Amino acid sequence: MKLISFLIVAAVSVSLAAGAIRLLNVSYDPTRELYQNINAAFVKQWKAKTGVDLVISQSHGGSGSQARSVIEGLQADVVTLALAYDIDAIADKAGLLPKNWQGRFPDNSAPYTSTIVFLVRKGDPKRIKDWNDLVRPGISVIMPNPKTSGGARWNYLAAWGYALRQSNNDESKAKDFVARLYHNVPVLDSGARGSTTTFVQRGIGDVLVGWENEAFLALNELGKDKLELVVPSVSILAEPPVAVVDKIAARHGTAAVAKAYLEFLYSPEGQEIAARNYYRPRSKEVAAKYDSQFPHLALFTVDEVFGGWQKAQKKHFEEGGTFDQIYQPGR
Amino acid sequence: MSQQRKMWIGLALIVSMPSIPARAQSADQNGRQLDQKIQELQKQVDELDQRVKIAERNKELKDEEAATRAKNAASATADTGGFTIKSNDGDFLLKIGADLQVDNRAFVGDGSALGADTILLRRVRPTFSGTVFKYVDYYFRPDFGQGTTVIYDAYLELKYFRAAKVRVGKFKPPVGLERLQSDDDTSFVERGMPTLLAPSRDIGYQISGDVVPQRVNYSVGVFNGVPDNGLSDVAVSSHRDYAARLFLTPFAGAAGNPLSGLGFGSGISSGGVDGIALPAYKTFGQTTFFTFAPGVGSAGHRTRLSPQGYYYLGPFGILAEYTLTEEGFKKGLVQRDIAFRAWQVAATFIVTGEKKAFTSPTPKKSFDPAKHGWGALELAARVGDFSAEKGIYTYGFANSATTPRHAHEVVGGVNWYLNRLLRISLDYGNTNFGGGGAVGNRLSERVLITRFQVNFI
Repeated sequence: MKLISFLIVAAVSVSLAAGAIRLLNVSYDPTRELYQNINAAFVKQWKAKTGVDLVISQSHGGSGSQARSVIEGLQADVVTLALAYDIDAIADKAGLLPKNWQGRFPDNSAPYTSTIVFLVRKGDPKRIKDWNDLVRPGISVIMPNPKTSGGARWNYLAAWGYALRQSNNDESKAKDFVARLYHNVPVLDSGARGSTTTFVQRGIGDVLVGWENEAFLALNELGKDKLELVVPSVSILAEPPVAVVDKIAARHGTAAVAKAYLEFLYSPEGQEIAARNYYRPRSKEVAAKYDSQFPHLALFTVDEVFGGWQKAQKKHFEEGGTFDQIYQPGR
Repeated sequence: MSQQRKMWIGLALIVSMPSIPARAQSADQNGRQLDQKIQELQKQVDELDQRVKIAERNKELKDEEAATRAKNAASATADTGGFTIKSNDGDFLLKIGADLQVDNRAFVGDGSALGADTILLRRVRPTFSGTVFKYVDYYFRPDFGQGTTVIYDAYLELKYFRAAKVRVGKFKPPVGLERLQSDDDTSFVERGMPTLLAPSRDIGYQISGDVVPQRVNYSVGVFNGVPDNGLSDVAVSSHRDYAARLFLTPFAGAAGNPLSGLGFGSGISSGGVDGIALPAYKTFGQTTFFTFAPGVGSAGHRTRLSPQGYYYLGPFGILAEYTLTEEGFKKGLVQRDIAFRAWQVAATFIVTGEKKAFTSPTPKKSFDPAKHGWGALELAARVGDFSAEKGIYTYGFANSATTPRHAHEVVGGVNWYLNRLLRISLDYGNTNFGGGGAVGNRLSERVLITRFQVNFI
């Protein structure tokens, strides 16, 4: 017993002597502001709880690109990506976390949700109200590339799901609809933040299709006198998941703090921060508090319409998949 | 509306004015038509503006992509470190190097009858080394010198755990200090007496690392087992040789500490030798002075022990090593263990003031007389001794009339490092023998060896 106590004290001493604990959160494109706020709050809470200084670094990019970086060696203690498939890829290809990672936190390890909405120019000069307006000739739609961006894959599936509903689940009509949609996309950015830049700062396009939180952020930053939010009749329930990258965290000795960090996202404080950053909270109490902030619309899930991310990825986004068939770059 | 857009509309209006039939239309009609025309032009300008912006944005994205690709692209360099191709993140690396040594051996005195004066390619060794997948190093080094083709080194090393690197393949077993020193770094053109008793290259597995970074290093391995100073690509029996070495540099990295260049430790090996080839020991001039009598074979067990150390202080260096090999031999029904002992003490001094270390010095100024650069000049001296116990004759394992059981060498030399790659050496060695003559001792061997060496790895 004495020996165990000695070892624990020694380990803690070594940790303290080594200075602050460092954590790297590898996330997707539009979560910069969210995790700046989350990190500040958690660092403060961790210091108060343990007395140990914590430094959390963030890395952002297209969700698919970020997953590839982790597979290729980026030392992520935790990943907070746009979709489950990207974390599945880390588990499958690099074996850095178990394949059942999604069951380790509540709500399939997705502590907040979002959806896909539209942002148009003030006054909605092209009269864009729903998905079918995006495929009209002459409409310029701004969305990122589904090959690199998780958000773009949510966009794509949202459009596909809408088309299925409109066509009584006719896959060929859905494919034609999405092909027409991408025919109207003149610029494919690699990530959601890049598309926002294209639409808002560069003034390109009639409509930006993207994350709800990103749309609110653009409205707040650029002003409601220049842009308008358009909520389609139906969209997809986006569930961005989070996970501890076990092997890297174990190597860094950060497994416990990484787990606590992700648990913090489910805490009342973490849920409040998510809501303030326009992510839909899981907590019913916090959701009720921010109910007026989020538009009400019919939402479907990936599981309901596509049978899960694995199937959706294979059918639509793999090499030679539907997206490759319908999208012709440099049209 | 931007200035550019206003200019476009203005120009379009000027161009379109003559088409308006001023005399036939009323003022209202003219105004409506004008408004309609302006709207059409406005639309066209908006479309053009969008096209320009889209083209600019797509170019911007392509430029970003190209910049990212360039950032991630592999790099190729050629410099004093050799030729290198490296991935941007350093996880993949290929280094191509070479080691070329051209020697001139000139024997002098009566003992020269055993060695012929010659100019030879002592070593011709291209080297391919590097890293794959960040954690796996590889090393491949054949030798085409002296008219033969031999794979000297060929191994992989997994270095995920710095304190426990795993090496597999053909490489130097962890026994002799000077043997573990690269031939590019030794201070003499030929290695000393203790290295005669250490294995050269063997095939096996090894775990090594720093228990205390840079200060306490260990190696343990299991090998096929090779003769002293020998190498082999196959095992001759199911026996194995186990080798280990512990080496300490307790003050390494301690700036200003006069003991920072101190290193000491010991290597050891143990294993069966049944059926293994017999060793043959060579002089500084590379003539064979010790061979076993016909009918003798290795049998039983072999143990090597090699305490060793060095000390470097500024331009001064000293290296000392002792090796004891006790090995079983058999001739007919007679089987006995015979002890071989060898030691050396080597001292070096770099006249031009460069810092001496276990690796060869880099001249302060490379050879370039126009810029007053003359390279680095090093003086070196070594005393060494080899002996086999008397039983080697008693049991008929060697012929006392042809094979000395004792050799004592004194070597002096000069090394001129013209630059980091090129070195010219001049060594003179005298070896006296005990036994090995028809009457008394074999005649002393005196040899002058010059070497031109180009090395980059």
